[in-house]
Amino acid sequence: MSFNRKKAYLALAQKGLFDMMPLNLAVMPWGILCGSLAIQRDFSTLEALLMPTLVFAGALQLVTTQLIYEQAPLMTILFTAFVISSRHFLYGLALRDKLKHLSLPWRASLGFLLTDELFALSGARNALRGKLRLVYGLAAGGSFYLCWLVWNIIGIVAGSYLPDLTNLGLDFAIAVTFIALVIPSIVNIPLLVTVIVAAVLSVVFKLVDWQLGLVLASVIAMACGYLTSLIQAGISNNKLMPACNNSEHTS
Amino acid sequence: MTLLTILLLTVITFSSRYLFLHPGLPLKIGPKLANFLQFSAPAVLTTIWVPIIFVKESAADQGAQLDISLTNPYLLAATVAIIIAKQTKSIYLTLAASLIVFVLFKLYLP
Repeated sequence: MSFNRKKAYLALAQKGLFDMMPLNLAVMPWGILCGSLAIQRDFSTLEALLMPTLVFAGALQLVTTQLIYEQAPLMTILFTAFVISSRHFLYGLALRDKLKHLSLPWRASLGFLLTDELFALSGARNALRGKLRLVYGLAAGGSFYLCWLVWNIIGIVAGSYLPDLTNLGLDFAIAVTFIALVIPSIVNIPLLVTVIVAAVLSVVFKLVDWQLGLVLASVIAMACGYLTSLIQAGISNNKLMPACNNSEHTS
Repeated sequence: MTLLTILLLTVITFSSRYLFLHPGLPLKIGPKLANFLQFSAPAVLTTIWVPIIFVKESAADQGAQLDISLTNPYLLAATVAIIIAKQTKSIYLTLAASLIVFVLFKLYLP
């Protein structure tokens, strides 16, 4: 019995690892960039290591590394970080009912690992429900953390030999990863509306250089998708009523 | 000083991820909010990838610029990525094909 359970946990952990693997690989250029930039911006090896180990964030690491190098005021650095990181509030909110009952070690570890990538893999209604699916999430998120660390370390070690990688277009790998995750998930009209609104608003807010706008763009897009689903439900309810009656008659 | 900043950054990223997982927070998620939140993944992920494709951050600090020209390697490779993702639903295939296209465009476009 317990042997079977152990096997089930192992199988789920393996599946988590497998599902996360393409994302683990796709962030390699971005991780190397983060690690090498820290060294090129005069971080000590320890400081450069602590960024991926503790802070564990992509764009936020890049931007704050640059700000620290430019000796920006501490409040500016922290506020910028808060703005970039604020999308995670939405992730926590979306997963709250699934995770809030768990013990502190589970909540803290999954919370720490709750990156864009892990959240993207936790979209299914059943995701993270029950011990087995939690093990899946932990394996997926944990493998992403370890890979992020390894890619950063490669960047740190090679940093002083590498050229400045910031303008090489390494962010394209991030964009494709999210394209590969988002596009197949558009399976109905409300989701299509969400993606289109998010796309248009995010570009507009980016052009006027309003960072906080990215979170607002997400919230407005979610609202548009939600409203579309309500309208759709309203229409199909009106249509379904007579349809249901008909089917009752024929059967 | 940098060490202190890194510790404070750690507090910010961790608390933004953990805050709403905390059971002590007096917040109940009703069915309406739950349905609304179902749209969070496609919404947030899209606000990350779309600006990478369309907005060019010029090196000379001229601010951000919209780039929808046919010489934008991001746009061309992203189009390939979208088609392959739609057709195959394979992350590996999408990554491999569009990265190759991106590198080729990057190397050979003016």
